[in-house]
Amino acid sequence: MTENKNPNSQIDTQIDAPVISLDHLRVEFETDGGTVVAVNDISFKVFPGETVCLVGESGSGKSVTSLSLMRLVEFGGGQITGGKMLLSRDKKQTVNLSQVDAGTMRSIRGNEIGMIFQEPMTSLNPVFSIERQLTDGLRLHTNLSASETREKALELLKEVRIPDPEKRLRQYPHELSGGMRQRVVIAMAMACRPRLLIADEPTTALDVTIQAEILSLINRLKRETGMAVLFITHDMAVVAQMADRVVVMYQGNLIEEGSVDDIFTSPKEDYTKALLAAVPQLGQMAGTSLPSPLNIPGVAVAVKPVREVIDTEKKTLLEVKNLVTHFPVYGGIFRQKVANVHAVENVSFTINRGETMALVGESGCGKSSCGRSILRLVEPTSGDIFLDGKNIISLNGRELRSARRDMQMVFQDPYASLNPYMRLREQIAEPLKNFGLATRSEVDDIVRDILEKVELPVSFLRRFPHELSGGQRQRVAIARAIVVNPSLVITDEAVSALDVSVQAQVLNLMMSLQDELGLSYLFISHDMAVVERVSHKVGVMYLGRLVEVGSRSQIFENPQHEYTRTLMAAVPIADPKKRNISNDMNFKPIPSPVFPVGHIPENPIYEEIEDGHLILRN
Amino acid sequence: MAVTLFLISIITFTVTNILPGDVAMMIMGTQSNPAALANLRESLGLNDPLIYQYGRWIFGMLTGDWGNSLLFKQPIGPILLQKMTASALIVLLSMTIALTLAIPLGVWSAVYKNRWQDTAGSSVSILGVSLPDFFWGIMLILLFARALGWFPSSGFVHPNEDFLLALKHAFLPSLALGLGLMAHLTRMTRATMTGILSQEFIRVARAKGLAEKTVIWQYGLANAIGPVMTVAGLQMGYLFGSIIVMESLFNYTGMGWLTYQALLNRDMPLIQATVFVIAAVVMLVNLLVDLLYPIFDPRIELK
Amino acid sequence: MSIFKKFLNFKGIIGITLVLCVILIAVLAPLIIPPEFATRMDMRARLSPPNMAHWMGTDQLGRDLFYRVMLGARTSINIATSAVLMSLVIGLPLGLISGYFGGRTDNVLMRLVDTLLSFPALLLALTISAVLGPNLQNTIIAIGIAFTPYLARLIRGEALRVAQMPYVEAARSSGATNSRLIIGHVLPNIMPVVIVQSTISLAFAILAEAGLSFLGLGTQPPEASWGLMIQASRDYLDRAPWTALVPGTAVALTVLGLNMFGDVLRDVLDPRSQS
Repeated sequence: MTENKNPNSQIDTQIDAPVISLDHLRVEFETDGGTVVAVNDISFKVFPGETVCLVGESGSGKSVTSLSLMRLVEFGGGQITGGKMLLSRDKKQTVNLSQVDAGTMRSIRGNEIGMIFQEPMTSLNPVFSIERQLTDGLRLHTNLSASETREKALELLKEVRIPDPEKRLRQYPHELSGGMRQRVVIAMAMACRPRLLIADEPTTALDVTIQAEILSLINRLKRETGMAVLFITHDMAVVAQMADRVVVMYQGNLIEEGSVDDIFTSPKEDYTKALLAAVPQLGQMAGTSLPSPLNIPGVAVAVKPVREVIDTEKKTLLEVKNLVTHFPVYGGIFRQKVANVHAVENVSFTINRGETMALVGESGCGKSSCGRSILRLVEPTSGDIFLDGKNIISLNGRELRSARRDMQMVFQDPYASLNPYMRLREQIAEPLKNFGLATRSEVDDIVRDILEKVELPVSFLRRFPHELSGGQRQRVAIARAIVVNPSLVITDEAVSALDVSVQAQVLNLMMSLQDELGLSYLFISHDMAVVERVSHKVGVMYLGRLVEVGSRSQIFENPQHEYTRTLMAAVPIADPKKRNISNDMNFKPIPSPVFPVGHIPENPIYEEIEDGHLILRN
Repeated sequence: MAVTLFLISIITFTVTNILPGDVAMMIMGTQSNPAALANLRESLGLNDPLIYQYGRWIFGMLTGDWGNSLLFKQPIGPILLQKMTASALIVLLSMTIALTLAIPLGVWSAVYKNRWQDTAGSSVSILGVSLPDFFWGIMLILLFARALGWFPSSGFVHPNEDFLLALKHAFLPSLALGLGLMAHLTRMTRATMTGILSQEFIRVARAKGLAEKTVIWQYGLANAIGPVMTVAGLQMGYLFGSIIVMESLFNYTGMGWLTYQALLNRDMPLIQATVFVIAAVVMLVNLLVDLLYPIFDPRIELK
Repeated sequence: MSIFKKFLNFKGIIGITLVLCVILIAVLAPLIIPPEFATRMDMRARLSPPNMAHWMGTDQLGRDLFYRVMLGARTSINIATSAVLMSLVIGLPLGLISGYFGGRTDNVLMRLVDTLLSFPALLLALTISAVLGPNLQNTIIAIGIAFTPYLARLIRGEALRVAQMPYVEAARSSGATNSRLIIGHVLPNIMPVVIVQSTISLAFAILAEAGLSFLGLGTQPPEASWGLMIQASRDYLDRAPWTALVPGTAVALTVLGLNMFGDVLRDVLDPRSQS
């Protein structure tokens, strides 16, 4: 019998037996470079009615563990070479899943154990209807007739709170949004009332409000059916919100296990401590006004907050005025313009020297398009952009190219932002050559210098991108951006694809570069907790508009606009004592900013409630 | 579509008009009186500006008058129709043979990727792709026609006269073509299936407890049909080129044979007609595949 | 070194071996074998099956097939290589510009290319050959032009994909000009596809030459090419099948080798094709 100190979870303490019990599990893969042990001697239990979060970074083996439970890991070339996985079934039987035959395993999958995966966009078969995909599992595991399964499918859709369930049955996956698809996937997994639900990063690819809805849905289903949940994630904030108990994994090994309170307040192992330290926690910065590096134990980082913004004459670096960017949508036989995507709608803000301004919002809000419009990587439809007094909009080809010297960009995907066929030395040196900023001999010195600044060894210069890790590639991308000494660096979700600990290091690097070189950043991100850590100013975007803008402390401590408040409410807090995701949450679906040709939106009206804190009122 | 047809006609007309050889001489023979030749040229309108000739040709086609073949000394229209039917039989038969063999083989290779089944499958398909069509044709003639005597090695019978006999005559050429086609389609199917099998929804299907056979042959294959059909449509173009050689080898008097005779003998009106028709048919087949695509993939809307 | 390991599988070894053999023969044979060996006729030994005197038998004019096949290699390889080179010279810039710049240029160019694709390649080649008059050079031109649309379309697709990659955008925002972007960034990244496709096109070019010559619209006698040899054997299939099988097998082995080599090349150069 487990004793649970967390009053928020509800374990049915009358049932003793764990639903699933892993005992010294070992999983190996054969690769070109030899045998790789993906999971090494893992043991833990999951009891009915509780949520166990399996947490770790990439390569930790958490996904492999869950796939092994379902015996799906063999399809990817893995082999269970040791240990037992005991599933307790009805009538007090237990069966060892690592030894069970294929037929029995098939009858367990989708029946006694359900699983949901990470990518809602590809989890559903694009050419089958929703009804078919919901019912084929039912028809397999139950004796229901055709009409009965259809009834059940409708029930399932209602249970996961999908609006308009009759219509959805007839539809195809591409007609549903990401959040709705994930609900369908959950409905499929719940169809036969499984005793264990395995969720493998189910919300990683979702927007923050949709994530909150899905997390609360899983909680509700768990409460209503008493099933056990094995929740796999790399996001410590989600762990804090969902878990009753936590299992920490690193490179295939089990590092630490305990109740969620114990893990968060008194972690025993170094790795757990480092992991927790690297996670920015929403609300931690309350009371301060400047960005502050993350405190990573074991890494020698000067833990001083970023210095105060320089107060000079030319304080304003970037001034964006009434920026509008529309993308045409073509259709019809003659490919005429049938609609416009109003990606950026009348956005205005300023960034000062040495300051970081964050643009936050969910997918489709226009923050990325805004960043690219400023660099004119896409052409804005109208508006003005003043960089250091010069209007970028009115520059022609050659002038634009030289103006770009002063503002550079770091992209999201570390794998696609470096040319796979070019050595790193050339890629970092290229901006210098393009702008003619240095002679042959000087280039070498400058490049070496920059590489030191981003804390990479000089030997990397000879390498190709595929020889580096994601975090290292982002450092190279940053090096390439700052080599020409720009005043402004636009980072478009630059750390979103990195592991938590790597993310912390890169963020600290960015802040120290800001300190050292006086850089300004336009930090585009969807991660509120990270934004809270690194920004001076924050702008919240929704449907292409800037709905609220102000200093970081104004926005985070005193959000005024309805959408900002919604966003704040949906962000999981990395503290199990502050659970904000528990009730059935439902947010407005994110609309798309597509309007018919000729649609003229209203001019935005802002109200300034404090110094510099503006809220959209229409 | 109309634009493409228009462009096709222009290209055909331009290319064929560079042909050396005097049309008048072809009709009347090389020993004819120069004055008579000049008169004929005048009456055939060969001295008019090219634009006029082009206009006449297009107008003729639209009104059903395709001119007369110099070689056969008959109106082209009916000849085209007859030969088209003959080739249609071969083309359809070979495509059917190819698809029936290629799809299962391709799926099988994809499922057993990088194991011996895959190597076996890809060896067979590489072999098929590498041997020239007419080589297959020769081999098949030697084996089935000469040695075994099961099928005739030449000649053509119209399906309306005797369907079974027509099939017999069409079988060997179709098989030869089909084997080469099958090889390419197998590789396409395999490539498409490996892409599909690595997608998440396949894992989700397994996680529901579905049998592996269902997962691959229903969930997986349903997604592969679309791309494979598109490639098959594109291969139609290749097929219409191959029948030129194959029909000559088998003395099968279809479109391919007709085109070849026209080219060999510099029969300009016939060349123009056959080249245009072949290109137009290929274009129409691809258009058809495009139009039918939404049946295979509900994501694509008909525009 | 691990790159070379990928070549060491069944397909790779056979492919490379075949290709190397054929290249060696094409280059060395004309230097070693005196040309009369392939053209001298021995009417008493006509249509004789493979024996000690004539390793692969003789054709209807008593010519030794072994030497003819060896010398024919050069002609066929020469034609195929020249044709593919020609289609590259036209198709690569076309595809690059179309894919990189997109927009109106792309629309117009691809409309033209698609129209040309409606003409079966063999038909195009035959027509061009007939129009220009069949001989060695015109065969090269005919096949070269016929293969260009497919290559152009393929390259355009790749160029389009690469032009949208973040590293191209990053280079553009660091001040690179269009020509630098195309040559320094796009071109190296489409090379894998170009190389693989060229290898496969070589195979098809050999097949095309064989087909053209078979129909009499390719190489003409006295040139010796494999296609011509197959054509000459048509009337003697019953009595002397080896007259067709010898050149046919030569074509088959060459094309097989090239296809296998191209396949393995694709696995090595383009990791995306591995799922």
